[in-house]
Amino acid sequence: MSRIVVTGIGIITAIGETADENRDSLIHAKTGIGKARFFNSRYTGQLPFGEINQSTELLAEKLGIENNIATRTDLLALHAAKQAIIDANLSKEDLSGNDTALIGGSTVGGMCLTDEMYADANAAGISNSPYLTSYSNSANTSFLQRYFNVGGLVNTFNTACSSSANAIMYGARLLKNGLAKKVIAGGVDSLSKYTVNGFNALMILADEPCRPFDSERKGLNLGEGAAFLVLEREEDASGKRVYAEVRGYGNSNDAFHPSSTSVEGEGPYLSMKRALEVAGLSPEEINFVNAHGTATENNDETESAAMLRLFGTPPDFASTKSYTGHTLGAAGAIEAVYSIISLQHQEVYPSLHFTQAITATGLSPITTYKQKNLQHIMSNSFGFGGNCTSLIFSKM
Amino acid sequence: MYIHQHICISPQQTNGVVDLEAIHPSSAGKLLALEPKLGGVPPGMLRRMSKAVRMGIGAGLPLIKEVNVDGIIIGTANGGMEDCIQFLNQIIDYEEGLLTPANFVQSTPNAIAGQLSLITKNRAYNATHVHNGLAFENALIDAKMSLAEKPDTQYLVGGIDEISSYNYNIDQLAGWYDSTKSNEDLYTSTAPGTIAGEGAAMFVINNNAAAALGRIDAIEAFQSMDQEQVEARFKNFLSTYNTDINHTLFISGENGDSRFLPGYTSCELAIGSSIPVVRFKHLTGEYPTSSSFALWLACQALAEQSLPAHFYKNEHNLTQIDRVILYNQYQGLQHSFILVSR
Repeated sequence: MSRIVVTGIGIITAIGETADENRDSLIHAKTGIGKARFFNSRYTGQLPFGEINQSTELLAEKLGIENNIATRTDLLALHAAKQAIIDANLSKEDLSGNDTALIGGSTVGGMCLTDEMYADANAAGISNSPYLTSYSNSANTSFLQRYFNVGGLVNTFNTACSSSANAIMYGARLLKNGLAKKVIAGGVDSLSKYTVNGFNALMILADEPCRPFDSERKGLNLGEGAAFLVLEREEDASGKRVYAEVRGYGNSNDAFHPSSTSVEGEGPYLSMKRALEVAGLSPEEINFVNAHGTATENNDETESAAMLRLFGTPPDFASTKSYTGHTLGAAGAIEAVYSIISLQHQEVYPSLHFTQAITATGLSPITTYKQKNLQHIMSNSFGFGGNCTSLIFSKM
Repeated sequence: MYIHQHICISPQQTNGVVDLEAIHPSSAGKLLALEPKLGGVPPGMLRRMSKAVRMGIGAGLPLIKEVNVDGIIIGTANGGMEDCIQFLNQIIDYEEGLLTPANFVQSTPNAIAGQLSLITKNRAYNATHVHNGLAFENALIDAKMSLAEKPDTQYLVGGIDEISSYNYNIDQLAGWYDSTKSNEDLYTSTAPGTIAGEGAAMFVINNNAAAALGRIDAIEAFQSMDQEQVEARFKNFLSTYNTDINHTLFISGENGDSRFLPGYTSCELAIGSSIPVVRFKHLTGEYPTSSSFALWLACQALAEQSLPAHFYKNEHNLTQIDRVILYNQYQGLQHSFILVSR
């Protein structure tokens, strides 16, 4: 069976608009969470956010998108996908080939335009809204397909906060099954009144920078961002720079509750276990876990319980959501990029704002930057609806 | 891969005792699905479900209550759109005041696959594909890969979408719907726009040939605005997978929108004028995952070896149906070909 390798990466988050900028912030423990400048909501001044420090207009201008039909979500996706495509040196012919697939993941999609969507959903008669085909959570993937003229299979996942992890898993499987020769896979979400009010109604937004795995954690911060990977089979990537192997992936449904994880972390345990099975690895071979680590009461305790159950003594782990905030559907892809650059540079990045372990589990994330021999990194993404996905990236 | 059981909830009598002769009329440009009574769902849960979730549970739960499946794979463009906009309305109407989270939690498209797994305590593979007119096709491709990876498994695969008053409004403003059209004279229209529809069709799929309802031989799904390219890819699909076009039925997604008729016609011509053409959107209306109904109809045609006359576009003398080729497109952008055989 062919090995699936990463030949291109692209990313934009609150801590940088390239992989290098993101790495620099991670090394220097520079968080992107703070006061939002561009996001317009009643909560803008009250809650911290992981906002990308650029207006939608500037993003459009820098990407050379002149018309006003692209949403912020579309633009963030384009920014990251374009980087990944250039990085992997995909030509126009590569992109338009029937065997190049584009797989996205998003939860908010075009609903970052909450007010516009409200107006159009309730409008009577004729509307001149330019956004009528922009609201769906797959609109950003179609936007990319048209921009790059991608010729093969196109898909979008929405499994809530594991969406883009599933997009990467699906992309790797398309290659393994011979249904594609090149895959662009990732995800995007932007700040939206929709999700801010939803998470606020669930009372899981912290009014301070989030503290993943801390016993006094108060909830999550919402963030925004996008990341895409270019995946190819090893034999098709000869001569190319190869970042890492997509070694394993596992998916499970926790089957417990629509918006919280079971106490014993059954879904997280099974997704991690299945990823190890696909990778052909034993738990002790995992050198680092990029945890889901949202800093909610429920997630951090149940994810810890699942790690304890699977690993006995878990390897080093951290949550980069203390830098980016929770980027929802984009988180799986963003954290995939972080796992890949960790492997590339043989270093791990500290979790921020942690002081004291959760009493029930006693697990502490790493809190200082360190260089470390890394062969295999696991990245977790868990979402509403019970959707749990774990990915394993390995050094080539 | 083979289809073993299926349940189809639609605006017509397709669930339980199937009657495809009598057609329920559309009203104000919409065809609403007939919902069954849901058994086995806790009342508190039922009360909070959107129609999309109820249809998904109604079609999916009976199939997996007795049979254990190794994955639940759902295609839905919108999931619980009605809940989504209800929550959206609350945000604006109450100026982002303190809201109740019920609509928010129900609004995520993965609520259908999530609730099915929750009710049956199924902790296996669970996926929700939302890519509009290719959402169901991707669910099928996902199942196909799953069966290649683990041959002795089986999967629940389904396509579901609901009409919500809000997505109807947005799609109508965008020119996709014409509320003056009806399903009685859908195909004679020479104007743009079609009628809206909804439904849920679910299938249990595995690798066992014995007693199967149909075999899915090939699926191709892609995006293109170039009709010539679509036709070329359809021809290529036919030459790759279909060596014999005797005893073959062509199911077309023709929907009465004048803008898309040439595309469907070019594929009809590509397959050959001797092949009977069957249309179905006068039964279902248009929705992103209507190809799941078309797949159910293909199984029906293979099982019964005939379909009522109203389905056929032209006169035909087909007495034996061995294979069915589906072509569906959504909003002129998303195209899929599926080949099903006995």
